[in-house]
Amino acid sequence: MVRPRVYRAEGIILRRRNLGEADSIFTVFSGTEGKFEAIAKGVRKARSRMRGHLEPLTRSRVLVAHGRSLDVFTQAETVDSYRRLREDLEASAEAIYCLELVDRFTEEREPLHELYALLVTALSLLEEGGGAAVTRHFELRLLALLGYEPYTEGCVICEGHLEEEATLLSPGAGGLVCRQCHTEAGRGRMISVDVIKLLRFAKRATAPEFMAVRTSLEVAQEMRVAIAELLRYYLDRDPNARRFVEGVRSLDQRGLD
Amino acid sequence: MPDAGAPEPITRLIQEFSKLPGIGPKSAQRLSYHVLGAPEEDARALAKALQDVKETVVLCSICFNITVNNPCLLCGDEERDRSLVCVVEQPLDVLVVERTGGFRGLYHVLHGALNPIEGVGPEKLRIQELLGRAEAGGLKEVIMATNPSLEGEATSMYLQRLLQPLGVRVTRLARGLPSGADIEYLDDLTLSRALEGRQEL
Repeated sequence: MVRPRVYRAEGIILRRRNLGEADSIFTVFSGTEGKFEAIAKGVRKARSRMRGHLEPLTRSRVLVAHGRSLDVFTQAETVDSYRRLREDLEASAEAIYCLELVDRFTEEREPLHELYALLVTALSLLEEGGGAAVTRHFELRLLALLGYEPYTEGCVICEGHLEEEATLLSPGAGGLVCRQCHTEAGRGRMISVDVIKLLRFAKRATAPEFMAVRTSLEVAQEMRVAIAELLRYYLDRDPNARRFVEGVRSLDQRGLD
Repeated sequence: MPDAGAPEPITRLIQEFSKLPGIGPKSAQRLSYHVLGAPEEDARALAKALQDVKETVVLCSICFNITVNNPCLLCGDEERDRSLVCVVEQPLDVLVVERTGGFRGLYHVLHGALNPIEGVGPEKLRIQELLGRAEAGGLKEVIMATNPSLEGEATSMYLQRLLQPLGVRVTRLARGLPSGADIEYLDDLTLSRALEGRQEL
């Protein structure tokens, strides 16, 4: 069968890399094609027809032609430019962080419909002012969809029952570990009962349900750090955008003084 | 790769040229043989220009634009409005704004925009220096002329948050239709902002 010369995709633009005088390579994350890169020729010229439709953090419909080395965008049209999200520094920071997570956790051309739907939902909720809780839910669901969901129903090593108390969360073992198994668990962090409950709840809760849970600042902070350690373990690094999210948060705190 | 038959100075020149952006091994070879065949004064002028650009061009200690005088001619110009500062990402942007002839204030060059995913944080830009200028007083308005991209906008919003507590008015360039554009192909963001910023005919 002859391969069609062009294909369509709807996706979120994750990032841009400039090439030469006027071209850019964009990374798109779509449900049907997964993550892919393609080049937009002349997109940096003022009169480019695709400019603006391929801006990172835009949801766009694109038409892409197969190229010899790189595919080429031939058309692009905005579905959602997330304007209110862009005009809010905190929300932008959270969204940029989510985009980086998707970029780092996915391989090219691997269709991930559910992860795409999750990202679209997260961006909409961030736009509506959902804040950091949206990101926490997004992180946990992303881990689950990619097969990294931490096991929290019992001890991940002996499968024994867990007492309702602060418990070791070990990324290496893949979940909570009871006291008897600590020595086999590798590195980890003790997490409180509140955080354990939140982790369990996130498995079955939709993002709005998860956001509706009221948590203290301390628990939110503990949750953030616990998930950050899981992500760091699987990525072997911290996402770059985390520092920005934290920098923006500290601006807020400065304002409160 | 340099040909085995070429003398050492030529292979060295080829290597140096191929470090330049957009110059592949073939172009580097062509340029090198061109220089070899060119009159001696041309080659000397090129060498001198390369040397001068590194030795004499510095960053202005006030606005961080590239200059041979410090402070630069713009910052030293008594005629310009010192209470007005236009913030741009790159030195080239200063030239472009100057070309309009419509701005009589001073500049501040950030040398980039915040790019959280690439790890470009506030500490890599000339942000502290801008705050220093604002804290020194005398600034009434700071105009954000960063690119209308995700990174540029994030940079503007970030700076706005830092500058506002200092009692400085922060504005940004309007967003609208570029000359010669087709309405049909405009993105929603540009068009909706252009609609809001419409003006009486």
